[in-house]
Order: sequence, then structure tokens, then C-alpha cells
Amino acid sequence: MDAKIREKMQQIAGKDNVLWKDTDLQVYSYDAGLDKGKAGLVVFPSDAQQVAEIVKVLYENGLSYVARGSGTNLTGGTIPLNGGTVIEISRMNRILEMDLANERVIVEPGIFNLTLQNALAEKGYYYAPDPASQKVSTLGGNVGENSGGPHCLKYGVTSNHVLGAEVVLPNGEITWIGSKSLDAPGPDIMGLLVGSEGTLGIATKIVCRIMRQPERVVTMLAVFKEIEAAGQTVSDIIADGIIPATLEIMDNVVIRAVEASVHAGYPIDAEAVLIIELDGLTDGMDEQMKRIVEICEQDGAVSHRMAKDANERNELWMGRRNAFGAVARVRPAYLVCDGTVPRTELPKALAAVKAISKKYNLAIGNVFHAGDGNLHPLIMFDDRDPDELARVQKAGSEILKACADLGGTISGEHGIGIEKLSDMKFIFTDADINMMRGISLAIDPKGLCNTGKLIPRKEMAN
Amino acid sequence: MTTNGLIKGVKSVEALESVGVRVKHVEQPSKESEAKDVLAKASREKLVVFPVGGGTSIATGVLPENVDIALDTTKMNAVASFDSSNLNMTVQAGMTIGAINEYLAGYGKGFRIPLDPPFSDQATIGGVYAANSSGPSRLRFGSVRDQVLGVQALDALGAEVKFGGRVVKNVSGYDMTKFFIGSAGSLCLITSVIMRVYPMPGATAVCDGTFTKLDDLERFLETLRGSFLLPSGVVVESVNGAYHVIAGFEDHPLAILRESRDFLDMARKYGGNGSSKDGRQALREAFRNAIEPVEEGVSVKITVPISKGPRVMEAAKKLLPQSKAVLYAGNGVICVYASRIAADDIKELKGLTDSVNGYVVPVRLHRTILSSWGPRVDQTLNKYVLQPIKRQLDPSGVFPPVL
Repeated sequence: MDAKIREKMQQIAGKDNVLWKDTDLQVYSYDAGLDKGKAGLVVFPSDAQQVAEIVKVLYENGLSYVARGSGTNLTGGTIPLNGGTVIEISRMNRILEMDLANERVIVEPGIFNLTLQNALAEKGYYYAPDPASQKVSTLGGNVGENSGGPHCLKYGVTSNHVLGAEVVLPNGEITWIGSKSLDAPGPDIMGLLVGSEGTLGIATKIVCRIMRQPERVVTMLAVFKEIEAAGQTVSDIIADGIIPATLEIMDNVVIRAVEASVHAGYPIDAEAVLIIELDGLTDGMDEQMKRIVEICEQDGAVSHRMAKDANERNELWMGRRNAFGAVARVRPAYLVCDGTVPRTELPKALAAVKAISKKYNLAIGNVFHAGDGNLHPLIMFDDRDPDELARVQKAGSEILKACADLGGTISGEHGIGIEKLSDMKFIFTDADINMMRGISLAIDPKGLCNTGKLIPRKEMAN
Repeated sequence: MTTNGLIKGVKSVEALESVGVRVKHVEQPSKESEAKDVLAKASREKLVVFPVGGGTSIATGVLPENVDIALDTTKMNAVASFDSSNLNMTVQAGMTIGAINEYLAGYGKGFRIPLDPPFSDQATIGGVYAANSSGPSRLRFGSVRDQVLGVQALDALGAEVKFGGRVVKNVSGYDMTKFFIGSAGSLCLITSVIMRVYPMPGATAVCDGTFTKLDDLERFLETLRGSFLLPSGVVVESVNGAYHVIAGFEDHPLAILRESRDFLDMARKYGGNGSSKDGRQALREAFRNAIEPVEEGVSVKITVPISKGPRVMEAAKKLLPQSKAVLYAGNGVICVYASRIAADDIKELKGLTDSVNGYVVPVRLHRTILSSWGPRVDQTLNKYVLQPIKRQLDPSGVFPPVL
């Protein structure tokens, strides 16, 4: 990176808040996906004004940049391309306002999801989106990716819970979108910004909707001999008119990995386990749980275990939350696919994953937000083997094609990033992509803001 | 195309003319291909097209003085698909909310969409989406932004575009499905909408309570919000100096018993006399009577932070004593209906909301009032986001201007 630009960044953010040495830059050149990039500079701003000044310098000099939180993105969305600048927002991590009377909080983008949850829990409130990465993923990153999580089945994803933001636009201007009040006039720009993967601006303050904690939470684990039966149970519970807070399935490959890793108490000979959680009023909950147990048994559950207290509940969840990390015990690396299908198509989607696993001779474990039809096949491999890596990439793309062909889509919660650019054609026409490209051109005419992500280049769209 | 310029007696045209928009021609396509032809022609001949559904929120966007073609969607009113297993449906934009719910109620054990904006029998799903209209049930179920999964539309040249889909979780590309909400026909013509569908609840009840003091009402609402109860909607109407609260509950039968009992106990604690009634029909009627005016007139929507709702509603009622002012409590949304709202009244209402970061949104108002409204969105946002998007998506101005 040009020394003059570096000096300007040091003037804006302070000398100690700019990294430029090769060894430092390496750390910011990858994320949790498979792709790698190359950072030219890393800057750590401490407020919106600094972010705006940094962006202005880059805009005036035609230099690309990417805003980055903890780098937990799974599709290469937060890696810098072509020596771009990383605007690292982790130092902007305060809760600015906790307005319980209006059920809103205003936070800076670098706060961890779990830090916010813990602060709210002390007051009897919570913020619904709970991605598995919540211990370290930032709210800014959650907004960029429109993150989900197990509890989104009942309560919706990030875009349903983020109502406003202070944003630094790609030309360095600061503006507000939305507020604590609902229904800002005009098109839903906040809805557009959430999930835009940092390509339309950088959120520097975020207004979140919070909710009162439920009176009671009940969690159970149902054990199945066949994964199809677990999938059927999910459809039957919802068809019965019960919308649980979560419905999460793990297959035998993942169960074994989890048990070897965190000992969550899952039976290792089970083909699938289903975590079911109900929340809400105490009245009627036992009856609903009884009905759910009946449905599980009708559909072939071999056993079930009800969490007796918060400890047992945490134990059941510990396995699910650590599932991705646990599979690293099986092979050195893994690719998390993220496709979604209509719930009733889950058996077909799983059959397709099985066939693809066989075709490419790859071990694949399955974890999924079954209530949402959101699959996360985990393709396990050795990233030092180029042939295996190539097969993994092909298999990942074929799984997403299968999801699209079943009436679903290529990303439920991890975004497009770089990894899925060429898969966009599975679900969008040229006209659709051109309209999205028009949005990007309108707001970021120089194409500097996380450029190269989310929207495929023209030749890739065909 | 059906009417070929015969515009007398067409409701959408009457709605536009009632707010001061002159319409030269109306088209009522019954198929997407017909709508496509209208837009292709408009684009070629540089005509201004105004998309319109039931006309119940006609003034949400920008009202041009002259419209070449009113593109009335009400004949595109079929259910394209209903997937009862996956709980979603695709409906054409011109189908009314009332008709959708009638269709769903008669299917199997009964289903519904939890959208209940004012004038549900006239308001089309495309219009509700484009105007971001909502009703009391948004408290529990959210608004269109929480219920719409996907959208099909025609761009300014008549090309088909499709975003979102039939799945709840979807972060594939920009969320255009959300972005078009509230765009009021300024960016594209909505032709179909994919919605979430819900089974009928196990039980339903409607409770009410009347409070004579604003302080009591506020403390009651605060207690209700802080409780574990989960009302589907809470509406407050200011009537003859008293405050009438209606709350709906849709849940497991045992939960309903508890919620009704606790609601009435809470109301009594703050001096409110109340009663409760079971049944879905009772709830629907109570909400409808509360949120719809007796006579059609003009209307605005005010949104403020939740806790400010009762005071702002009261202030709006004082400013316009003959009006009907209704608060969707828990959401901070206030609907104000009156026979007349003057430009000075708008200024006063904006004064009430500006200090609390709220908004006043026109719903049905004459275009002369809108022309003196002033900026409706932040100027930086308008200059660097909204207007550039409009230029990209509709360069020749086929659709009405964006805010």
C-alpha cells in the first residue's frame, strides 16, 4: 500500500491502529471460508467519524476496502481482494443505549452477539438471532450477512430484528437509515442493507429490536434410527400447528464427532438426533410437549430425553453449538454448505447430499436447522490435497444446485461472498442480477466497497 | 387489457382522482404478460404509469399531477399456488387480503395470513406490500417485511424479475423483496407475492378494557408489555375522553385462559373495566371496528417509539378533535382518519414526531398537501441512495418518482 495512504490512515486512526507489515496482514487475508485474499492495509477505527474519514480517503484514491468484524464469514465475504484495505471494526464494540421501555438497543457494530445477549439477559430481555458463531461473531457482521441461528425458526433472522443503522456510505458520507420507530417512509433501505455483505456501506451504529424473555423454555432431544424419520417429524410438528423455537437435526457423522469432542450425551449409535425447544407461556406448554412426543413416537423416534434443568439444557445445546468445530477431529478441514429447501423436500435434499458424497468420495456430515429447511452439510477433507479440495468445491456447488432444483436457494444464512458467485445462476436470471447490479452501481459507483463479492461479474452470470 | 381508456366508475381511477391526480387512461391486466405489454409501451412512448391496487393507501408515495396510465392490478387476483405442508403461498398482486384469508380459511383445517390492515376487503396484497400497510396483528406476527418471502415484479421496461423464494431463510443476493416494501410503485410493478401461511390457532380470545386517565392507560400498557403475555395485537382508541383497549390472544386453549384472566386483572389494577370473549370472528370484528373509520376521508400514519404512542395519539386527537385516532400499542403505530387534514396540521404532527425520531406517512391525502410536505427522507440518504437507485432502475421515469 502506498506510504502516503498509510500515513493518512495513521493520522485518522492513530499510529498504533494501522497494520501494514506482511506478517500482520496475513492474519486478515482469510476468513472461515476456503478462499484466501491479500490485504494491503488494516485500519482499526474507533468511531463513525473515523470510519467516514477512512472511507473518504479510499474513495478519493479509488482504492477498494472491506469492513471486517471477527472474520467468521464462511463464504469469503470478509477477505480483501487485490490488496484492498481492511476496516476492522472490533474496537467499536459498545452498547450505546439500552432502551427497555421501547424494546430497543443501540450498539456499535463490533460488539459480539453473545456479549449483547448476556447484557440483555441480566435485564430479562434477549435479541433473537443467535448464530452458532455468537461467541465471537459481531453484530456488524450479523447485519452484513443477515445471520440466522437455531431460534430463527420462530422469531426470524437478523433483518427482522434490526430496525435502523447509522451508515457510512461508499463515498464517506454518514447517514441514518430507520430509527427506533417502525416504518421509515419510502423503500425499505434497511431491509436492503441487511444481508448486503458490506457492499453498500458500513454500519457504525445499529438499532436492534429486543424481546422479553419467555416465561418458560422446555428442551428435548429425540433419537431416531433413520434421518428421514427425523425430517418427517419436523414437518408433522409444524403441520400440527405448533411452532417450536427450534428444530435442529444432526446426523450420525456429526453425533460421533460431537461426542468425541464435547460429550453432549447424544447416543452414538443413533442415525439422527432432533433438538426441539418450546418457549412461551407456561400454560399449555406441557400439553404441547406431550403432543410433540406423540408425534415423535408416531414417526419412529426410538427414545427421547427432556432437559430437567438449565444445565441439562445447556448440555443438549453444547453439542449443537460445537458441531462445526467437532468435525475438525475427523479431517483437518471442512466446508460448511448452506442451502435451503422447502421443509418437506429435506429427505430428497439429504438423498442428494448422500449421492454427491458418494460421487466425489467425500465424507459429509449433516447439521441442519430443520424447521427452516436450512441444511449445513459439512464436507470434511484435507486442504493440503489439491485434488480433494477441487472435489470439495465441485461437491459444494452440486449440493447447492440440488437445493435450488428442489425449490430452495443457495444460501440460508451464510451469504454468497466469493464462494457462491458462480452459483447465483442456479436461482437468478440475468434480469434479476442486472437489477441487483444496478443497486450496487447506484450506491457504490466506483465499485470499491467490498468489491467482487455477492454479485457475479457479467460473464459469470451466464 | 380490459378497459382501454374507459375510466368512469373504475375504483382505482376514482381513488387517484380523489387525491388530485388526473388519469388519462386505465389498464386492468388480468395476466402478467398484459402488464408487460403496458410497461413496454409506456417505456417506448415515455408515458407515466401509476401502479394501483385497491387504492386504500394511494398517497404513500409521490403523487404526480398527471398520470398517463393507471395500471390497476385488481384483475390479477388469483392464487398461483398454496403449499399447505410448507406453509407458503404465491398470490397475484391484485388479490385482496380478505379474499386470500377467505381462500385459506376454507382449506383443510383452515389457514390464514396474519395481515390485517385497514380495509382488508379492498386492500390488495400488492398494495399492502408496496405501501407497507399493517394492522394490529403486527405485534405478534410482524408486518409485510416479516411475512413476505419473495416477490415477482416487472421492471420499467417490462422485464420480469424474481427475488426471494418459498423458503424462510434466504440470503442469496440483495434482499430486493424487502427493499420494494414501501416503494409505492416507484421502482417496479409488483405482480406476485410469496407469503408465509399459518394454521389457525388452537384458540382465540378478544379482551377489552376502558381507562379514563392517560396515565392509567400508559401504566397498564407498560405492565402488559413487561408481562409474559403474548397478545397478537393491542389496539387503543381514544373515544369521548376515554381510552378503549382491545387485545387479541391466539394460542393454546390453556394459554388463552391465563392470558384473558391476567389481562382483565391488569386492567382492573389500573382502573380499567374490561370483558373478554372467545372466538376468531369476535376478534376479527373487534379489530376491524377499532381500526377502520366509519366514513372514508383522509388519513395519515404516525410511527413513534413504543412508549410514546399513547401521548402522541392523544396529541394528534387534540389537534384534530373530529378525527379517529387509533394506536397499535406495542408497535407505536398511530392511524389518524379525518374528513380533512390541512398542511398546517401536518406541520404540527411532524413536530410531534420529529422530537422522538418518529415519522408521519401520508396514506390518503390530496396531492396539494403532499407538495408542501417538505423532505420525507434524510437528504443525504435521498441524494446518495434513493435517487441514484431510481435512476438505475427506472431511467426514463416510467413509474412515479421515488420520495
